[in-house]
Amino acid sequence: MNTPSSHPRPWHAAAAAAGIPAELPSPQHSSIAALVHERCAHFAQRRPKHKAFTCVMPNGMNGSLTYGQVDALSDAFAGYLRSVLGLQAGDRVAVQMPNSLGYPVAAFGVFKAGCVLVNTNPLYTANEMVHQFNDAGVKALVIIDMFADKLPEVLAQTQVQHVVVCSIAEFFPVVPRGIIRAVQKVWSRVLPPVTVPHTRLKTALALGRDTLAQTPAATLWQRIGPDALAVLQYTGGTTGVSKGAMLTHSNLLHNVQQMLAMGGSFMKEDEECVLTALPLYHIFAFTANLLGFLVLGGRNILVPSPRPVQNLQRAVENYPITWITGVNTLYNGLLNEEWFVAYPPKHLKASIAGGTALHDAVAERWREVTQTPIAEGYGLTETSPVVSFNPLSGDVRLGSIGVPSPGTDVRLVQEDGQEAPVGQPGEIWVRGPQVMPGYWNNPSETALVMKDGWFATGDIGVMSDDGFFKIVDRKKDMVLVSGFNVYPNEVEEVIAQMDAVLEVAVIGVPDATTGEAVRAYVVPNPEHGQTVDVASVMAHCKQQLTSYKVPKQIEIREELPKSPVGKVLRKDLKAEAAAALNTRS
Amino acid sequence: MVTEFETKLLGAMMMIIMLGMGASLTWRDFLIAFRKPKGVLIGLLSQYLIMPFLGFALAMGLGLSPGWTLGLILMACMPGGTTSNIFTYFSKAVLALSIMMTSVSTLVALVMVPALLEFYSNAAGLGSEFKIPATNVAQVLVVLLVPTLIGMLTRKLNPNIGATLELLGGLMGIAVILFLVVTWIPRNHMLLASTPWQVYFSAIGLGLFGMALGYLLARGFKQDPNRSRTIALETGIQNGPMAVLIVTLSITGAMQQDVLLIPVLYSLFIVISSSVVTVFFRRMSIRESLARDQRKVGSVMTSR
Repeated sequence: MNTPSSHPRPWHAAAAAAGIPAELPSPQHSSIAALVHERCAHFAQRRPKHKAFTCVMPNGMNGSLTYGQVDALSDAFAGYLRSVLGLQAGDRVAVQMPNSLGYPVAAFGVFKAGCVLVNTNPLYTANEMVHQFNDAGVKALVIIDMFADKLPEVLAQTQVQHVVVCSIAEFFPVVPRGIIRAVQKVWSRVLPPVTVPHTRLKTALALGRDTLAQTPAATLWQRIGPDALAVLQYTGGTTGVSKGAMLTHSNLLHNVQQMLAMGGSFMKEDEECVLTALPLYHIFAFTANLLGFLVLGGRNILVPSPRPVQNLQRAVENYPITWITGVNTLYNGLLNEEWFVAYPPKHLKASIAGGTALHDAVAERWREVTQTPIAEGYGLTETSPVVSFNPLSGDVRLGSIGVPSPGTDVRLVQEDGQEAPVGQPGEIWVRGPQVMPGYWNNPSETALVMKDGWFATGDIGVMSDDGFFKIVDRKKDMVLVSGFNVYPNEVEEVIAQMDAVLEVAVIGVPDATTGEAVRAYVVPNPEHGQTVDVASVMAHCKQQLTSYKVPKQIEIREELPKSPVGKVLRKDLKAEAAAALNTRS
Repeated sequence: MVTEFETKLLGAMMMIIMLGMGASLTWRDFLIAFRKPKGVLIGLLSQYLIMPFLGFALAMGLGLSPGWTLGLILMACMPGGTTSNIFTYFSKAVLALSIMMTSVSTLVALVMVPALLEFYSNAAGLGSEFKIPATNVAQVLVVLLVPTLIGMLTRKLNPNIGATLELLGGLMGIAVILFLVVTWIPRNHMLLASTPWQVYFSAIGLGLFGMALGYLLARGFKQDPNRSRTIALETGIQNGPMAVLIVTLSITGAMQQDVLLIPVLYSLFIVISSSVVTVFFRRMSIRESLARDQRKVGSVMTSR
């Protein structure tokens, strides 16, 4: 194995050409709490009326919080957690809600209390909640009222002692709040009665505020250092078992800096308004939108649910969006909405894509429609998440995840442990200040991925001679057809070129003759005049791909299974295919 | 008879309905609709070509009296009602198209309603005492455009108030009909009992035949079944409260009762017939999506 210091880092030149430094100074703040407080106080003083967060419902109803309000409310919540509930620094608090104004208040409150934030997907089943809360040792839970029906079952099986309940229209003006609650309750019937002992967020904040005179919030987090644990971010990771990536204050503070450095001159203090359609409980939106744009004094437009994509219309129409963060499916979805294509946001500066491969066809069309750059980045939960990014000021390279962010070291390791030559695929290993120390209470899983200070991502990549990286595919998604490696991404990219195709997913399925075979799931574009059929997709693939890469099976369907951020879930398709195979035999 | 107070109340309710309609719209919606105008154009065709003729044909065919004829023709010439949006929503049809059709037909009403009313009144040979002056109709429509514009502006300036108005406007459409049920029926039950079947037939038939013809027209222009169902609902559901308002503002005395009968009956029955049609349309929508699922099952193909 090459020694880490000797491998080439050609990306430094590319970054320097785009005005991005190779290294960054250490973060000025000792913790996220210190960062949040300093920034909020700064902007509250300079622009007292400027909104930090605005939550927009599909019908345009909205509520906002200023920087000053976010600061004061999160102080109060910190006071509640420590002085009222009696939690200690380092105790785990789960926050389980879709994008709404309660999220920044609760999350920042947890940091200011010196506690550890456990981001939890609100759509989790009771079983998933139980597993995560027990694994993390969660003591207090902040949950959206819509999903409170799972609480009796969950609380009985966990050590969670305190429950705080908030609503989607929390902090909205009184009339829209009343209407939204009435509609949820009477019309859509999504408000189950809360049958367990709990405190409403409003009440918790009032109780917490009263404690601040005696114990000011600053005293709660002052002694929290950069190496303290900030967030437990659960992930299926490379091996599929759900485990908590430990992200320290230092990890996150560094990654925010790295992300802002990559944004460069496209991100300016006081100017930005970012569309947050991805859920904040996901690491991408958490670091980029919540923390990154807070540092810039931007305005976060929070959309509780981006599906259907139509839900974003009022948010895009009513606010001067300058940035969008998203995944391929979100961009693709927007490009298939008439209102978006006819009137793309006119203040938009640039968009970031991550989470999953951005298809070339989508990227090109996005540039054409919005007349702004879209840059693909690469990151993982374990790396807080940003690893690499396309410098926006240079030529954004299609299909590339760009160059490593400042202070990040990347190398490609082949199966024999040797460094892959330029242009050859190898597993991406990452080292840098944003890499987690390990998984929570899970030394065996940690040992599988942490190697001599490097984090082995499980993604296969290649590097060009000037240091731009490309993801070939997930190691575990590779399909072995008669001994040849087929990367599903490549096949998906080819099928996505067809205009009549809305979305596509490719997986490997067991096959009697070739070991594994390529299977494609194709979603036709309903807006498109021509219909897609199996034969036309097959013909297109045969024209574009070597024969072993051509899908053996093609299935036309209406939609694909997706994760909360909109990543297509190949594993669900594989499970489905395996189940179908079992029933047949 | 409708009292002075009731007329004013009706006018106020109508204002709220139009505020709500305005708040459901932006200029961009119009501009987008005109980029791909086919759906809206088919809607206009069925709204202002088929419906008025249908009303006229029913009046002539059933040999209605001049007062009833005027009421029926007026009802048939009205733009689309805002309640169609609610029924479209429940039918799982195309909501955006419904909102657009209602709005465009309401704007176009300014020119089309007075012209069509004049044309069909003459064609029906109605005497001058049975005519609603075109300027009267135009005035009411212009007055109603003001709250529409205010609604649009409100949505732009304060989305919270805008969304509240939008909701309120939708509810008000139902409230007007309840208002008619509560105030008008008890005082007129004698009249209702002595009303001949032809009047009931035309009041109910206008909506039902309108939907059927709208659907056929849309299918004829190769719209898919779901868009066709949207256009059907939009065609059949007219702005009843607006017709009632125009009558109460333009005609006084004993004749008002006569002319008002069909618009009021239409408004009452359209809620019932739309509900029935909505249940039926919803089933069709669901059956079609199930059929799509079925086709998918058979689409797995092995090439080698």
